[in-house]
Amino acid sequence: MSFSDAHSPISDDLASRRDMIVCDNVNKWYGDFQALKDVSATIKEQEVVVVLGPSGSGKSTWIRCINRLEVHQKGMIAVDGVELSNDLRNIEKIRSEVGMVFQQFNLFPHLTVIDNITLAPRWVRKLPKSDADARARALLDRVGIPEQADKYPGQLSGGQQQRVAIARALAMEPNVMLFDEPTSALDPEMIKEVLDVMKGLAESGMTMMVVTHEMGFAREVADRIIFMEEGEIVEVGTPEHFFTDPTEDRTKLFLSQIL
Amino acid sequence: MTNPTTLADRAHEKPPFYRDATIVKWIIQVAVLALVLFSLFFLASEAGDNLRASNVPTDFNFLDVDPGIKVSEGIDTDPDTGGRALWVGMVNTIRMSIAGIAAATVLGVIIGLARLSSNWTVNKVGSIYIETIRNVPLLVQIYIWAAVLASLSSVNLDQGPIHGWVHLSNKGLSLPRVFISDGFYQWLVVMIFGALVARWVHKRQTAIHDATGHDTYPIGSGGGVLVVFAAIGWFVHPVFGFVGGWLDQVAELIDGTPEFGLQLVLSALFVGAAVLWIRSFLNQRRTPAGPAQLSDDDWFRMIFAGIGAGIGVFVVLIMWPGLSSWMINSSRDLFEVLGAKFGDGRDGAPFDAMRPNVVKPGNFANYGPNGLNLTIGFAAVFFGVVLYTAAFIGEIVRGGILAIPKGQTEAAAAVGLRRSTQLRMVILPQAIRIILPPVGNQYLNLAKNTSLAIAVGYSDLVQVGQTIGNQTGKPLPVFAIWMLFYLAVSLTISVVVNFFNVRLKIVER
Amino acid sequence: MSEESGVALESATEDDIDDQPMLKPEEPSLPPGEWVQKNLFSSVFNSVLTILTIVVMAFAVRGLLNYIFSEERVWSAPATNARLILTFAYPESQYARVWVTVGLLAVLAGTSIGLWAQWAGVSAKKLCFWSMNLGSGILLAIVLTQPGVHRDAAGEVLRDADSAVLRKSFATAMSDRLVWWIVGLAFIGAGLLAWNWLGEMRRRTIRVPSSALIFGSLGLIILSLWIVNYGHYAFSDGEFIAISGRTVASTTKQPWTVMWLILVGSFFLGRRISQSQRAVSVKGLMNLAWLLSPFIIYWVILRDPSIDYSHVWTTDLPIFLAFAIGGGAILWLLSYPGIGEAGRLAGVGLVVVAIFQFAAAFTGWYPMLQKARISFVVLALVGLAASNFSGERSQRVRFVGVWVVLMALLHYFATVMNSPATVDVVSENFTGGLTVTLFVTALTLMISFPLGVVLALGRTSSLPIFRIMSTAYIESIRGVPLITILFFFSNILPLFLPDGMDIAEFAAIILGYSLFSAAYLAENVRGGLQAIRRGQYEAADALGLTSPQRTSFIVLPQALRISIPPLVGQVIGTFKETSLIAIIGGFDLLRIGNQVIPAQTQFLGIKRENLLIVAAMYWLITFAISKYSMRLERRLGVGER
Repeated sequence: MSFSDAHSPISDDLASRRDMIVCDNVNKWYGDFQALKDVSATIKEQEVVVVLGPSGSGKSTWIRCINRLEVHQKGMIAVDGVELSNDLRNIEKIRSEVGMVFQQFNLFPHLTVIDNITLAPRWVRKLPKSDADARARALLDRVGIPEQADKYPGQLSGGQQQRVAIARALAMEPNVMLFDEPTSALDPEMIKEVLDVMKGLAESGMTMMVVTHEMGFAREVADRIIFMEEGEIVEVGTPEHFFTDPTEDRTKLFLSQIL
Repeated sequence: MTNPTTLADRAHEKPPFYRDATIVKWIIQVAVLALVLFSLFFLASEAGDNLRASNVPTDFNFLDVDPGIKVSEGIDTDPDTGGRALWVGMVNTIRMSIAGIAAATVLGVIIGLARLSSNWTVNKVGSIYIETIRNVPLLVQIYIWAAVLASLSSVNLDQGPIHGWVHLSNKGLSLPRVFISDGFYQWLVVMIFGALVARWVHKRQTAIHDATGHDTYPIGSGGGVLVVFAAIGWFVHPVFGFVGGWLDQVAELIDGTPEFGLQLVLSALFVGAAVLWIRSFLNQRRTPAGPAQLSDDDWFRMIFAGIGAGIGVFVVLIMWPGLSSWMINSSRDLFEVLGAKFGDGRDGAPFDAMRPNVVKPGNFANYGPNGLNLTIGFAAVFFGVVLYTAAFIGEIVRGGILAIPKGQTEAAAAVGLRRSTQLRMVILPQAIRIILPPVGNQYLNLAKNTSLAIAVGYSDLVQVGQTIGNQTGKPLPVFAIWMLFYLAVSLTISVVVNFFNVRLKIVER
Repeated sequence: MSEESGVALESATEDDIDDQPMLKPEEPSLPPGEWVQKNLFSSVFNSVLTILTIVVMAFAVRGLLNYIFSEERVWSAPATNARLILTFAYPESQYARVWVTVGLLAVLAGTSIGLWAQWAGVSAKKLCFWSMNLGSGILLAIVLTQPGVHRDAAGEVLRDADSAVLRKSFATAMSDRLVWWIVGLAFIGAGLLAWNWLGEMRRRTIRVPSSALIFGSLGLIILSLWIVNYGHYAFSDGEFIAISGRTVASTTKQPWTVMWLILVGSFFLGRRISQSQRAVSVKGLMNLAWLLSPFIIYWVILRDPSIDYSHVWTTDLPIFLAFAIGGGAILWLLSYPGIGEAGRLAGVGLVVVAIFQFAAAFTGWYPMLQKARISFVVLALVGLAASNFSGERSQRVRFVGVWVVLMALLHYFATVMNSPATVDVVSENFTGGLTVTLFVTALTLMISFPLGVVLALGRTSSLPIFRIMSTAYIESIRGVPLITILFFFSNILPLFLPDGMDIAEFAAIILGYSLFSAAYLAENVRGGLQAIRRGQYEAADALGLTSPQRTSFIVLPQALRISIPPLVGQVIGTFKETSLIAIIGGFDLLRIGNQVIPAQTQFLGIKRENLLIVAAMYWLITFAISKYSMRLERRLGVGER
């Protein structure tokens, strides 16, 4: 496996930065089925990494392992220098520092948009309600839907819901944002509004790890692309390298099927 | 600034126990479990002390002692031991439950169909029935039935709607009675053979039908075989008197079993079950990479299986060694009793029947022992639970049929099925899968509701148990017997309902 | 009569959807001829069925009417004993307290309806139908009921030589019922007139508010007290023997009128508040008031405790202050946002001390007031959860404030419950009749609800021991009949308690009901919990919420909303089950109807009349709740999901 060491193609600028996410030989099984095979990668501060791969290749499992929605069984994952172990303090710390956006939005349907966003800042970060509200409104402004604050999620369109979900994750002021196929459940005309928000986020210097099928987004925004298949990392490279001159046959096959 | 190598070094650093997610989880669970167990233990020991202090030992001796009570109706109205009295009560409960379930099902389905009827009057009658019955407590209804029945005229020597066959009065209803007689068990052996032959015939006829397409009437011929065997068995059953000898021998064999041997076998069973469970559990979790992915929860689960087996062995060997001798004795008694049902003097008919009679021992007439006597209590409870449960079953049936998508009816109509065929072949088979589980729940409720019989003096298990408990001052053991009996009834009903549910699913596929 | 009202109510349910603000596109109503053709005589089979049902129903209704209006019925038995059925042996001299109770409930009910109800009203079309239905029902009843009997001057029924009852001729009977003819025709006429006068469009658009209908009909019933003298009632003190005397109507018409005015007044008050800014906080207050009302009604109003103030000053108040201030201080510290693990460990320490306190209570190591131990347990549990609900200053102030209020209520009610009653009741049971039925229902639901939620959470928990324990509890309770559990708690429970600890039979019964009901409630809540998608848990986890936070902010609010319809079913079930009190020795309305009244010398052996009245009371309350639950279900749209 030529790219099990994922650090080589990183530019000098990146190399000097802080490690945000470190994965070292991460393995995970569901019964007999091995979902992750010796996955190793390091994601630097302010880096945007897009994970590509056919469905069932373990991309989502991996990203969900990083804030312990799934528990990896072997290997090591560390976020911002904190190892993800059985230690309750570490789990708490990592979860409040890593924001996550889901394919199905997973907004809380019984709370208004503003309550969705302020819930965690108030009860986890212990912010006063007024501060949390102010921050939430600023974030809604940033994702472009300030007027929807007092509606319920059910009254919003899919794209608006996903933007609220992004705002909800950002309200915790995370160091890292994880996106698990954020546009897959959206109608085509709503995909752009979500991608625009993500692009803005990337430009502002957020460390991001994105599982997606949006090749355009990957080419334009990603600093690095990781290609996975059958639970292992097949190839890592810059977008130009990946889309124009991939080394691995499996990558070529994948690209020929989707492009 | 952390660098990956130092992180890797720290990777296997264990957090302190109070921060380890798995350990904290289990500490909480074990602490709560311990708290609950301790409270229960404490209450139990407190109860023991109190009972000793008030000189009421908590034992089951009353089961073998004359209870000094009479049971108002049932298979034995003057039981000679407390155990026998409770048994009479259980039979009464079971009798009421089975009769009630059968009647409530029929009535419930009728009500449900009435509620679905396009006929306005029928529909309204159905909904008035449901809204009236469902919103009045069952106990009130039972009291009303009892009050209404008690206002009937008193028993008369020459009265009854059909004198000598059916009597109705404020003593209840008396009907002709069919009962099993001397030769029944021998006849049953004949019928077992008959069932085997009938099954073979049924299979063979089905095979012929499948092969040739001729009408071979498999069900009819199988049933015919059974009828023939029943008729022949009626006369020849004494031939099987020798079965009694076999059963006696089995009883002797069981009697000869060494107690310690049975204890060992039981212990081995417990340990074996635990080992098997752990093995299959491990097999389930096995992956190409070995045991590294067993989570701590899995370990705890396996440890608990081991502890469970240990407790079982402890109970069998040390805590309650009498268990094995009790098992030996009771199974020996069972076979002896069965053996006595065969052999000499049992060449009469398997069934017999009698007409009701009215006797007048003193100033007041009453029903004699010949007929099938349903007391006011029985009738009140029966009408109460049947009408009440039927209302709920009716709603379930209606809901189940309405839950079938309209497309099914349209599709059935499109292939040209008649309305009745649509219902029978398309709608009902699908609806019954939705209907069965909640109806099973209603059956459970019905069985439990028969315990309200105590309000009108029908001698069900609760009524008899309550009387005995008061008589002997031992409510606690009686309560334990109630618990076990009703749990067994609940379990039986759910097993039966599940069995049909599973079968229907397979048939449907 | 009852048959007809059943029809009318039933048809009301079919198109209750009308009540929703939106006007649904209505099917054009068929002309009567076609409707009859389509719904009654569409085929030969249907025609036979229709005729058969009508004939059978006519006989059934006739039988029922004859039964109700038979000269043999003694309706004076339940009428005379109305007070017994409602409040049992509560002394007449203290009846002002009962009226205060009714008044309190009227205020609560009126305000709540005003605050919450969103009724669009009943269409004029339906009202016309109701009026015509009622009129036809009355006419039908007049025709079907058999003619009355001839009586002599003393009111005795006249009989012929074979002692058969002498009945009037049909024609005389019909002319005797002239008043009712007029009433019935008036209803039909009014319906028809309104129908034609309004016209198709206005029939559907004009709506009479439901509140007006409900309060109006209640008002009419109360108005009738001023006109007709219902029922005799009076008791010789100390004996449950009815003596005919003043009528129910004459002694209760003034209080009932006042109650009606209070009800309507507080309705308008509630309406007013619902449009103001303070609606949300008033709604919270109303919820708290409902929650406290059973305690206040029973222990404060009805029992009128004689509080020993010297004891209060020397013991009760100091203990309360110690817990309010000391406990408040502990909670203030524990809710400090940065407290982290130290807070958790301190919480665990509190729990250990609380458990130790209870062990000490059981073994009698050192004396302590029971309420102090209980307060400590509450403090420990709140302390354990404190870190999850901590926050900045104002949040912490609120947290401690809630604690102080909780302690104040706990200690106030503990003191009140421990004080002897000044109201002297001649029976060994303090209350009975409908009062005890409602009271047991309310307390059972209050105790079993939190217990059931905890059990449901346990049963769906990922922690195996909790799951096993909850499942074992739920299934074994559900496997046995309620009556055995009630016997256990009324007969056997006292045996389990240590020396010096005692439990009133009444409390034991409520405990039995609660533990039973909790198992069923848990299953209902479990249904709601299982309907919540995994993504909700994941989103909460990803945001860093702790599991108590996740459960209380995300999971339970959604699960309980889904479970509302089965939970209302549970309320109905519990209400009906309280009738079992009659078997285990309490004097609820069923026992009074079935045993107490038939034992009175005037009404010896009169059972069926009482039972029918009792059944009607149960029916009315249950039917009302179940109709309300159907509305709720539709409004929540649970059925459609």
